[in-house]
Amino acid sequence: MTPIIVFEGVSKWYGNVIGLNKLTLRIPAGVTGLLGPNGAGKSTLLQLATGQLRPSQGRVRVLGQPVWNNAALLRQIGMCPEQDAFWEWMTGFDFVRTCARLTGLGRRAASQAAQRALATVGMTEHMGRAIRGYSKGMRQRTKLAQALVHEPRVLFLDEPFTGTDPLARHELIEVIRALGAAGRSVLVSSHVLYEVQALTPNIILLHRGRLVAEGHVRQIRDLIDAHPHRIVLVCDDYRSLAAMVVGWDDVEGVKVMAGEGALLVETRKPDAFYGRLPALAAQDGIRIREVYSDDDNLEAVFKYLVSR
Amino acid sequence: MSVPTTTAVSDVPIRRGFMASALAALFVLTLRQNLHGRRPLVLSLLFLLPAVLAAVFQFVPYPPAPEMLEFALVFNLIPHALAPLTALLYAAGAIQDEVEEQTLTYLLLRPLPRWALYGTRLVAAWLTTAVLTVLFTTLTLTVIYWNTPELWGGVLPRRAAVLAGLMALAQAGYCSLFGLFGLLARRALIAGLAYIIIIEGILSNFNFEAVVQRLTVTYYFRVLSLRWLVPSRSGEWPLDLTAAPSADECLLTLLAVSVLFLLLGAILMRQREFRMKTAEGR
Repeated sequence: MTPIIVFEGVSKWYGNVIGLNKLTLRIPAGVTGLLGPNGAGKSTLLQLATGQLRPSQGRVRVLGQPVWNNAALLRQIGMCPEQDAFWEWMTGFDFVRTCARLTGLGRRAASQAAQRALATVGMTEHMGRAIRGYSKGMRQRTKLAQALVHEPRVLFLDEPFTGTDPLARHELIEVIRALGAAGRSVLVSSHVLYEVQALTPNIILLHRGRLVAEGHVRQIRDLIDAHPHRIVLVCDDYRSLAAMVVGWDDVEGVKVMAGEGALLVETRKPDAFYGRLPALAAQDGIRIREVYSDDDNLEAVFKYLVSR
Repeated sequence: MSVPTTTAVSDVPIRRGFMASALAALFVLTLRQNLHGRRPLVLSLLFLLPAVLAAVFQFVPYPPAPEMLEFALVFNLIPHALAPLTALLYAAGAIQDEVEEQTLTYLLLRPLPRWALYGTRLVAAWLTTAVLTVLFTTLTLTVIYWNTPELWGGVLPRRAAVLAGLMALAQAGYCSLFGLFGLLARRALIAGLAYIIIIEGILSNFNFEAVVQRLTVTYYFRVLSLRWLVPSRSGEWPLDLTAAPSADECLLTLLAVSVLFLLLGAILMRQREFRMKTAEGR
C-alpha cells in the first residue's frame, strides 16, 4: 500500500535535547494510532508532519510531497493541536469559519463548511457561544472542527480526547472511525492506550524519540519473542483445566484467576497452544466459555516494549 | 454527531485567487485582533493625552501660542513617543503574540506561505498604528487651533493631511523595524523600548556629522516636517537643513528602509521554526 506519510531517517534536536532520533516510518492510508508516554516525541512527529517544524536531519513527506514550507500541501492537511489555545473572544462558529476563510474558502462556502464541521463534532447547539465559556470537551471538539473544516485528506490529531468525558470520548471515537471509513487518513496521538485501541489496530509506538514498534498490534506482539504471550481461558472448572495445561511443554506458567473464573496461561508458542485448544474444549468436563489474548490489550504490549 | 460523508474525501477544487481570499481573511482577522482587548483602549487613552493637555492649556491664565503647543505635542510628543510605542506594541506582537497565546499553529497550518503570513500581519499592524496616530494627531491639532482662524485656514485639512502622510510614513518605518525585533528578540518589547529611548530619543538629538541621526526614523520625520510644514520652533531640533537630504530623498529612504526590513522579516519568517509548548514538554 502506498504510504501517505513517510519519515526517512528523521531526527529533530532542540539544542542538546533529542526530540526524534533517526526515525524511519511509512504510514499507510487509514487510521493509525501514535502511542507513547509523555516526552516520547509524538507532538514533535506531528509538528514535523504538518510542516510546523523542520527536520534537523532526514526527510518528511506527506502525500508524496515534502512538508516544510510547502503551503499548497497544507490544503490537504488538517491538524488538531494539543495545546488548549484559541482566539477566546470568538464564538465557536466564528473561530471555525475564520479557519475556513484562512484556507481560502469564500464567505458563504466558509460559513457552510464551518456549520458542517461543527455538526460533525456535535457542536451545532453551542457554536454561537464565546469559546471562553466552553468546557474542555467542547473546546476539544471545536479544535477538531477547525481541523476538518477544509475537508483535508490527511488529519493529524494530537491527544484529541484530552479532557473529554466518557460520552464525548465515545462520540469522538465514532467520528474519527467514520473519517477513516470515509477514506481519510488519520494519525491520532495519545498516551492512553485504550483510546487508540478503540480506534484502530494499526499502531506506532514511540519512546524517547525512537520508534519502538509499528504495525498491527498482533504483529507487534509477534515481534516480542522474548515476551511470553498471555492467554486467558474462561472456564467453569478452571482448576481441572490448570492441571491439564500445566503439563504441556509450550506452557511456561499458569495462574488461576479465581475471582474471574479464569485461567491465565503464559506461552512462547501461542500458535501451538491455540492449535490444541479445540481438542481440549471437546474433552468431557471441560467447558471453555471464552478465550482471549491478554496481550491484545495494548497496555501489556506497550509496557513490555518500553521497558526493554 | 453526524458521520462525515464520503464526498468530503475528494479534493475540494481550489478556486482561482484562493490565496488572495485567504490573505484578505488573515488581514481582517489581524485587524480584529488589533482592535480587540485592552491594548487599543490603553493606547487610545495615551493618545488622548496631547489633546487633553492642549485643552487644559487653553484655560491657563497665559495660554501658550498654538504654534508652541503644536511643536511640543504634535511634532514631538506624538511622533517621538506615542507613535513608536504604538508601532512597537502592534508590530513586535504581529507574530510573537500568537506564539505566546499558542494560536500561531492555526495560522501556520493554513495554506499560506509564511512570508505572506508575516507581510499581511505586518501591514495590518501598520494600518492599525497609522489610523490611531493620524486620528489622534488630527484631534490634537483641532484642539490646539480651536477658536482660531487658522483652524479652517490651513490647519484643517491641509496641514493635518500632510501630517497624516508623514505619520503614516514614519509608522511604516517603525513597524517594519519592530516587526523584525519581534522575530529576532525573545524580549522584543524591552529591546524596542531601549531602541526608542536610546536611538530614536537620545542619539537622534546629537548631530555627529548627522551620521547617527540618519539612522533614525526621527531624523527623516523632522527633515520632512521642516521642508513641508515648517514648525514654528523647529530651531530647537539639532539638524542642519542645508546639509539635510531633500524631501524626495527622505521619502525614498523611509520607504526603502521599510520595504527592506519587511523583506528581511519575511525571509526570516520563512526560515524560522516556532515551537508550541505541549504537555509533552518537547
